[in-house]
Formats: sequence, C-alpha cells, structure tokens
Amino acid sequence: MSIIDLTSMAEPEGEAQKKINDIIKGLQEDIPHDCYQCGKCTSGCEAFILTELEPHKVMALSKSGFIDELLNSGEIWTCVTCLKCKERCPQDLAPVDVIFAVKNIAVSSGKQIDSGYSNMLQAVLGTGFIQSPKEVVDRENNAVTRDDMGLPKIKGPEEMPKLQQVLMKAATETLR
Amino acid sequence: MARIGVFICHCGTNIGGVVDVDDLVKFSSELDDVVYAADYKYMCSDPGGKVIKDAIEEHDLNRIVVTSCSPRMHEPTFQSVIEDAGLNRFCLEMANIREHCSWVHKDEKEEATKKAKDLVAMAVRKANTLEALTSFQKDVVHDALVIGAGIAGIQASLDLANTGKKVYLVEREPSIGGRMAQLDKTFPTLDCSSCILTPKMMDVARHPNIELLTYSEVTEVDGSVGDFKVKVKRKPTYVDWEKCNGCGECGQVCRMKDKVLDKFNEGLGKRSAIYVPFQQAVPLKYTIDPSKCLMLLSGKCGDSPPCQDVCELGAIDYQQEEKMIELNVGSIVVATGYDMLEASDMYEYGYSQSPDIITNLEFERLISSSGPTSGHVHRLSDGEEIKSVSFVLCAGSRDMDHKEYCCRIGCMSALKQAYLLRDHMGEDLEINICYTDIRSFGKGYEEFYRRIRDGKSNFIRGRPSEINVKEDGKLIYNIFDTSTQKLLEINSDIIVLVPPLIPRNDSSELSRILRITEGADGFFLESHPKLKPSDTTTDGVFIAGCCQGPKDIPDVVAQASGAAAKAMGIISREELESDPMIAWVDPDMCVGCGVCVEVCPYSARELNEVTGIAEVDEILCTGCGGCIAACPSNACIHKNMTKQQILRMIDEVI
Repeated sequence: MSIIDLTSMAEPEGEAQKKINDIIKGLQEDIPHDCYQCGKCTSGCEAFILTELEPHKVMALSKSGFIDELLNSGEIWTCVTCLKCKERCPQDLAPVDVIFAVKNIAVSSGKQIDSGYSNMLQAVLGTGFIQSPKEVVDRENNAVTRDDMGLPKIKGPEEMPKLQQVLMKAATETLR
Repeated sequence: MARIGVFICHCGTNIGGVVDVDDLVKFSSELDDVVYAADYKYMCSDPGGKVIKDAIEEHDLNRIVVTSCSPRMHEPTFQSVIEDAGLNRFCLEMANIREHCSWVHKDEKEEATKKAKDLVAMAVRKANTLEALTSFQKDVVHDALVIGAGIAGIQASLDLANTGKKVYLVEREPSIGGRMAQLDKTFPTLDCSSCILTPKMMDVARHPNIELLTYSEVTEVDGSVGDFKVKVKRKPTYVDWEKCNGCGECGQVCRMKDKVLDKFNEGLGKRSAIYVPFQQAVPLKYTIDPSKCLMLLSGKCGDSPPCQDVCELGAIDYQQEEKMIELNVGSIVVATGYDMLEASDMYEYGYSQSPDIITNLEFERLISSSGPTSGHVHRLSDGEEIKSVSFVLCAGSRDMDHKEYCCRIGCMSALKQAYLLRDHMGEDLEINICYTDIRSFGKGYEEFYRRIRDGKSNFIRGRPSEINVKEDGKLIYNIFDTSTQKLLEINSDIIVLVPPLIPRNDSSELSRILRITEGADGFFLESHPKLKPSDTTTDGVFIAGCCQGPKDIPDVVAQASGAAAKAMGIISREELESDPMIAWVDPDMCVGCGVCVEVCPYSARELNEVTGIAEVDEILCTGCGGCIAACPSNACIHKNMTKQQILRMIDEVI
C-alpha cells in the first residue's frame, strides 16, 4: 500500500478489509464499495445522537481499509440495530451489517469489548433480558414500578439453559 | 459451385489478443468449399478491404465469410467491399467473434478459439447456400410526423417544416408547450421560460407546413421507413374549434369553476370543467373535460348549461365525437417527454403527510407569476409567509430503491429556484440546500453555481434520513453534514423535494405501437449511446428529448434538431433502397390457409383471389419473420435465412 494516514500513521489493512467483505457477502450481495457518502445513514442514526456512531464513516473506513481505527473505537458497540440505515440506504447497502462484521472481527482478534456492551450480553445470557425492569417516573413525579401500575410481571424465558445453548451456538457460528 | 473466402479480423487486440488467429486461419482453410483464408489486423480498413478484393479476383471467390465484429457494426462496410469486387452484396456472411466470443471469453483463450472455430464453420456452412438477391427501389412519402409538442417536438417540427416539408404535429394535451410551459425561469441564464417558448409556439401555429393535431393520440402505426401509415385519434373537445375564439366567458360561468384540480398547475390550483390549460395556450381554444363536465356526466347542468348559454358563437357541442385520422408519412420523430417520480414513493420524506412538502415542479408553478399564487411562495397548509426553505436533492434518484440514474437537472433546478427565492424574498429568507454532489456540468452551469455560493444560502453536504411533521404542522428534520461532521436539526417552513424524471407512464404502449425499444430504465432506447443518439431500432423512427432520457433544455433542443435532420435524410429522398432479405412464399407449398395474413404486423401479406395462395408485398415486408414461425405448411421462407440454412448451421456444431 502506498497510502498512509498522516494523523495516525496507520496504513490500510488489505487482509482485514477482505475479511470484512467476506463476512458481509454472507449477509448480502453488496459490500461497502458502492457507498457514495451521502450521509443519509448518519442523519437518521439513533445511536449518533447519544454516542456519535457515524455509519457513513464506518463505511468509508472499511472501504479504504483503515480497520484498526474501527476495531479500537468504542462507537461500533453502540449501534442499537434499528436497521434504519439498511432500510433507507439509497445504494441498498447496510452499514449495520458492516458494523456487525467489524464487531465480530474485534471479538475474534481479542480486542477490548466496550463494557456497556459486554454487560448487556451478560444480562441477556443470564436473564434473557437486555436489562431488568426498572422504576419509572410518572406524570406526578413519583417513582413507580410495574407492580404499582398494575402491570403483569414480565415472564422470562421458561427454559433458561435452552436459551443459553441457542445463544452460544449462534455466537460461535457467527464468529468466524 | 461455391468458392468461399474466409477473412479473419484481429480488430487490433480485441480479437487477436484472445483468439489464436493463426490457428483459426489454418482451421478455416481446411473447411469444405473454402478456397482461401486470410487474416488482417483491421479488416474494416481500406487496406483490409483491399485484401478481400484482391483475393476475390485472384482466387475467383463467389461467397465471402468475414469473421470479425457484429454485423450491426460493419456488415454494410464489407457488403460495399465485395460489391466493388463485382459480387452481389448478399453473398456475404459474417461470423461475430468479437462481441460473441473474444469480449465475453477474454480469460478463456483456448475455449474462445474453439468457439471462434465453431462460429466460422457455421458461417461457412451457411455461405455456400447464400443466394444473390437484388434490392429494389421504393417511393418515399415526403411528409413527417412528430409525436409530442413540448420543446423537443416543437423544435423538430419547425426544423422539418422550414425545409419545406409537411409536418403533422400530434399532441395529446389541448395545447402545445409541454413541460417547458410549466417552468418559470430557465437555468443558467434565467430567461423567462414562457418568453422564449411562446414565440416558438406561435411559429408552429402560423407555419404553413405544420398541421397541428392537438388533443390527439397516435393509436396505430403500420408500414415501414419511407412509408408509414399512421392512425391518429382526435379526442372530442366538445367545443367547435372552428367557432371558438378563446374569449373565455364559458370558463367564467362554468358550474364547476374552481372545483377541478388543475393538471397544468400540478394540482395546486383549480379550474373549470371547460378550460384552456394556460393563458398562452396554442391553439387558444377551449376544451371540455369529460370527466368533470356535469352535462357530459349526467346530461344535465342546472336548468341549462351556462357555457352554452353564454357562448355567442354557438361553439359548445356536447354531441361531438372522437375522430380517427389516417396519415401517411415517411419518417416519425418521437418527443413524448417525461413524468416525475411520485414524491410519495419516498415515504420517509413525508410528501403525503404535509402540503408544505412539495416537489420542484410544484415549486415552479408556485413561483411562476402565471401560477396559482401569482408567483408568491407561501405555506400551502396555512397560507403563512415563509422564513425558511429547504431543498432535498437526489430524492429518489441515484437510489437503488427508486431510480438508479442521476436526473441531470435536479441540482441546477434547485440552484435556480434558490436564486429566484432569494430574488423574490430578500436576504432574510433562510435557504438550506441538502446535496450529495452538485453536478453543474453544462455550459455556464458551474459559473451559475458559484453565484449561488454567495454565503447567503446554506449548503449542507448530506441527506436527511426522514422528514417529520410536528404536531403544529411545522416541518423538522435531522441531517448530518459530512463537511463539518455535525448533526444538524433544521426547522423549515417548506421543503422542496427534487425527484427524478421518469418515462411517461404509458410509454410502453407507445413503444409497442412504434415497435421501438425501451432501455432498462424505461426510457426509449437509442441505437447507439454515443454515435446514434436519435436513432431507434426501427428505421425511420427517431427520438428526441426526455423520452430518451433525462435532459436539460439545451440538450433537448440539440437532440430535437438532430432527430429532425435524421428524419429529413429520409423524407428528402425520392426513393429508398429496400432490403431484399424479406419473406417469400413457395407457391407449391402454400395451402392458402391465411394464417400469415393474420399475423403480419405490416399488412404485407394477401391471399391472391385467383390462385388462393398467399403473396408477399415486397415493399411493406420488413423481414420480421412472424409469418415464417406461423406458417403451418413451411411455405413461408425468409430469403438467405431459410430453415435449411439454419439447420445446416446447427448441424455443423452439434
């Protein structure tokens, strides 16, 4: 490669780029190359407002091969998988799929996983929920629970070990 | 006895770089009836032609196989070459080893050479049964037909009529003018659209050589180049145009006044059931909309229809009926224009959620002084003045879910509209232009773009993901500006979407009638994207303007003049040489069942009343092959493309 990023002295990583493409090809036909950086994905990104996840930048970085920067960024873990970017991309691309591919590479190459994300995974594995039901504030400014409001108890998965098995199987099959 | 020469072209490295030409020459020279085989770097060049001519003389060749590119490219070239050498031009057979072989198998050289051998062998097998055919002359009709009277059709008609030829100009709306009549100003010169269009419309109306057929549609086209028979349906206007003087009193008293959505104003204004589309209409004659007129719908309009009462000239005629007109023309120019993509198709942009989200064509009507708001742009929801406006470019174009192509006019139309708004409403108006790439490619366009980049308007390099309508009806959207890396929240009084131009919704029907082709994008397909931009796959039918693809006005006018010149090239001739590769009926085989008469789309077949067998009209037959497939007794034969010839070719390869 004859390209160097002078801000970080990083060079494009052809191998990692190819790996991302291979992963995405399993999910869909198109790979990030068709992205023309209109920014429609970031305009509508639910995670950007809170965490500055920029899907169009993920596309550009993976397209040009600056993968390490992506793997080390905390933002990739904040995607909420709303799929808006995939639904509305004018080039039929799916930044969300690229983000997942990058996350998979990060895990398989032993990168630090964002603690918020690993907590969430632990919660799902342990209880079947992303988070446990919490108190909320009602219109009169009182903290209330589901019980207080007369709502039924949320039922968790009936057979937790079975769910865990399925999740682990899915996880190991996805991590290539 | 056939003495065949095979001539193999390298086409530089196009063929030579893939196919083993030396091997192919050796293979060819060993085929039955082949007495000579040679290769040359560029067979289509003058020296290449000399190779063929010399060989014909030296080896007394009488059938020639040229193995090169597609016959669409160079068949006429090689036909002329062998004609110069004294052979009949139809004693030529071409094997296409470029498009059909070397181009598509460039990575499989051995296989490609093998395939090239098969193709040559097939061509040789056919060549030794080629018959010498003679062309004959057919008379040319010197009149022309132009379909569609927007700026393209108007320009083509005027160019043709100015050469002294008679032109029939067919327009389906009551007035000519088309899309350009709807526009306020034109970029980049800011000429008033009507001011430069209406003089041309008047020229059309006054021209002695132009016969204007408005409110009419082409329903049937028969015949072929030089002699088309065209049926045109004149829809009833329910007003005697001989009598109507366009005074407009009928429109004023119509009981449906201000109740009918006005198509010319993109549905933003209302008109009467009896109407002219716009004030500068040509011809300035009234038309009754049969889907809205109470009299035509129910036979009753109050005590008596007011339009009839008020018309002193007695022009109203509810009994008028549709008329069919038959025309005979030598060539046809198609200039049927475009539609706009339905903005509601981009659901995320909320077009159907708020009247304040409009399209750029609707904006043209709003800012036009002849439009429904007399040129004053305001919020359509509550009539409030606007303090901010946003333009969203590429709304549905360059988009795999809608239209893949660039609409070519969106950027410039938005820049022009931004300029006009600034001009009308002053410095305080906030203008936001959300763009992906500004494409200002035309002459003077980049200079115009620079004028708008004056620091007063905001250029936001990005695209909104969605537009939301707040509870109070105001519009809000988020957009990530990729140049400043900031997510912006923008409140806008109105939002102008710039959707792409698309083919007319019924263009498939017209392409069927005219037997021309549509491209993958639905626009009429030109014969060659660069070198034949106005030709179609049907000889004598030419295309101009946005029916061929999105274009700005300068390109439309240029193409229209080009199409007119092409049409002129046909109708200015006294005679055309007809193609002798047409159908022939073997009288010994024909049983006179008449199936061929029914299937022939060109009316080129008749049953002879005396003998009872089918006969081909050699002038009308185009060699389409329909009868050959249909004939149950194998009596229909395509000259130099007989079943026997095709079977021999198939035998050769299997």
